[in-house]
Amino acid sequence: MNEDKPGALQALRGLGKGLATTAKTLARPAHTRQYPHVEPDLPERSHGVIALLEENCTSCMLCARECPDWCIYIDSHKETLEPTTEGGRARQHNVLDRFDIDFSLCMYCGICIEVCPFDALFWAPDFAYAEGDIRNLLHEKPKLGTWMERVPDATLPEGYARPGAETPAQDADGPVGVTEPSVGEAGSSAEGTDAGDTSSREVEE
Amino acid sequence: MTSRDVLFAAVGLITAAAAVLAVTNRRVLHAGLWLVVSLGGLAGCYLVLGAELVALVQLLVYVGAVVVLVLFALMLTRSGGGEVDTSPAHRWLAAGVGAGMTVLLGGALVAAYGWDTREVAGPGNEHIGEEIFGTWVWPFELLSLLLLAALVTAVAVATTGHSRDRAA
Amino acid sequence: MDLPLAVEIILKAVVVLAAFLTLPLAIGQTEHKVMAHMQGRLGPMEAGPHGIAQLVADGIKFVQKEDVTPASADRWVFKLAPAVALIPYLVALAAIPWSAAWVAADVPASLLLVLAVTSVGVFGTLMAGWGSGNKYSLVGGMRAGAQLVSYELPMVLAAASVAMAAGSLSLTGIAQAWSWWWLIWQLPGALVFLVAAVAELQRVPFDSPLADSEVVFGPYTEYTGLRFAFFLLAEYAGIVVMSLLFTVLFLGGWSGPWSDTLGPLWTLLKAALVAILILWLRIAWPRVREDQLQRLAWLVLLPLALVQLALTGVGVVVWG
Ligand code: SF4
Ligand code: SF4
Repeated sequence: MNEDKPGALQALRGLGKGLATTAKTLARPAHTRQYPHVEPDLPERSHGVIALLEENCTSCMLCARECPDWCIYIDSHKETLEPTTEGGRARQHNVLDRFDIDFSLCMYCGICIEVCPFDALFWAPDFAYAEGDIRNLLHEKPKLGTWMERVPDATLPEGYARPGAETPAQDADGPVGVTEPSVGEAGSSAEGTDAGDTSSREVEE
Repeated sequence: MTSRDVLFAAVGLITAAAAVLAVTNRRVLHAGLWLVVSLGGLAGCYLVLGAELVALVQLLVYVGAVVVLVLFALMLTRSGGGEVDTSPAHRWLAAGVGAGMTVLLGGALVAAYGWDTREVAGPGNEHIGEEIFGTWVWPFELLSLLLLAALVTAVAVATTGHSRDRAA
Repeated sequence: MDLPLAVEIILKAVVVLAAFLTLPLAIGQTEHKVMAHMQGRLGPMEAGPHGIAQLVADGIKFVQKEDVTPASADRWVFKLAPAVALIPYLVALAAIPWSAAWVAADVPASLLLVLAVTSVGVFGTLMAGWGSGNKYSLVGGMRAGAQLVSYELPMVLAAASVAMAAGSLSLTGIAQAWSWWWLIWQLPGALVFLVAAVAELQRVPFDSPLADSEVVFGPYTEYTGLRFAFFLLAEYAGIVVMSLLFTVLFLGGWSGPWSDTLGPLWTLLKAALVAILILWLRIAWPRVREDQLQRLAWLVLLPLALVQLALTGVGVVVWG
């Protein structure tokens, strides 16, 4: 017998400890949560799904280009706004036609959310959107918009008012008080102009 | 013919058939498994004849231990699966020896008891117990001593080999 | 009760078969639940209230599965193995008494019968190990063979000690001769028997023949569907038989208050406790290595069993 081997007494004590531990666990309530019957109480910032705040999106394509597996599809076109004041200049802005995320490819890295300069993408805690067919995991603009509901208040842009709420969370003079496509932002979308007219990524390439 | 005769004949036939299969089978492991059937059938024969103690000991010792060891050895050496081919001379010799033994034993039995049926009236379990632990107690004790010596020796052989391994 | 012999035999056979099919399921369900709660889980919850019908669902699943025989398998050996593993326990269950009157097949040397037929069950494992044509199965089969032969001896010796104390080879006789102080007198024997029984069943901590992390699932690796289910059934039927046997040999079987009427219930209760103990070991303890396993059998259990035998001998001479 080697010296470092446990003696018979120690071995027996170890076995007894095993029995005691399991018996103690037996007496305590189980940790299991019965998920489909009981909703899990997730932390509000859980990374469940990516929600799109369409009004904030300028079709700048940053998210689509940074996405490691290219699962964001964006199409847009330019529209010209007539000047509102006499002698003013006509302005152009992008109108989002298509914004899809293919959740069968998405790996929830969150890069798209990080890079979006306009606070248009958010983590929402919803996770139960499994589908019977993998093709149905390609979610479009309206669907991505519905998940905004569950986005925690703390991550919302200042001044954003939920559709149901009467008053905005902050005063309307916040930097981006967005309830409609914001024209004032078009100036800052200068860097996004390279997105061009048809900004699908095939063209980009 | 009583029902016991029929039963005995049936069990005997199974035993004999299994025994023949055990010696004619080309795959050694199958032969071993037929040996199990044959020895089990023999236990059945004892049972039909009213010697249940012998039958159960037969099952426990031969089927449960001896053949298991045989099969274990076959599996260990991996020789159980292949076909074994013996020379014709070998086979004929074996068949001759087997037939000779059968005739000899059968002849001895017939010579001793004749052809007429006999009542089997073996001693019961209690009687066997009394005999073993009364009249034959010393040979019995000697036997157990022998087994104990064998056991201790086996352990000694196993453990000394062990320590040599470790020293090396 | 005076019934025609044939009717009585059929009735008893049906009852034994029913017990053989339900008790192992009860053990399996208990294992699911006890193990789950000992690990802080809930276990099966969906099939029936608290997952009570989980094993029925499993059974239906097993029936639907394809019955695969590997190409390199030894066909008949492979196919017969589950039956060989299962049937001995059925016979054993029939011979174990639940009370003085409740025994399906009351044979004189029933202790010997039970030990003999359970030792035949080894062949199921050996045949499965050989017949699968798989190296893991072969290694597992050999481990099983070595283990079962080694633990057979201490087990038989421990049982012999009780038989000697009772002066009977019949389980009914042994249970009737039992009195409470045997709990102390036969304690070493009881421990040896319990350990050997767990080893015989190839359950943790003696499950190295099946060790999933070493030999996949040992002899049962290649089995699918119903044949696999039969092996599982054999394992749980084995627990039932061993628990009942332990109860009858070392715990006095049906002795207890009002044993005339409640006898079988006492047997059932004690056997259930023993079975839960066997399940508990699986949950609490790690697996014993193959060489440690042999060392335990030959250097600890066997001497202990011999000491018990001597102790019993002295006791019988002094008090008998
Ligand atoms: S989370 Fe990552 S993988 Fe998913 S869409 Fe955003 S950038 Fe692409
Ligand atoms: S990075 Fe933001 S603003 Fe730009 S396209 Fe993506 S979601 Fe729209």
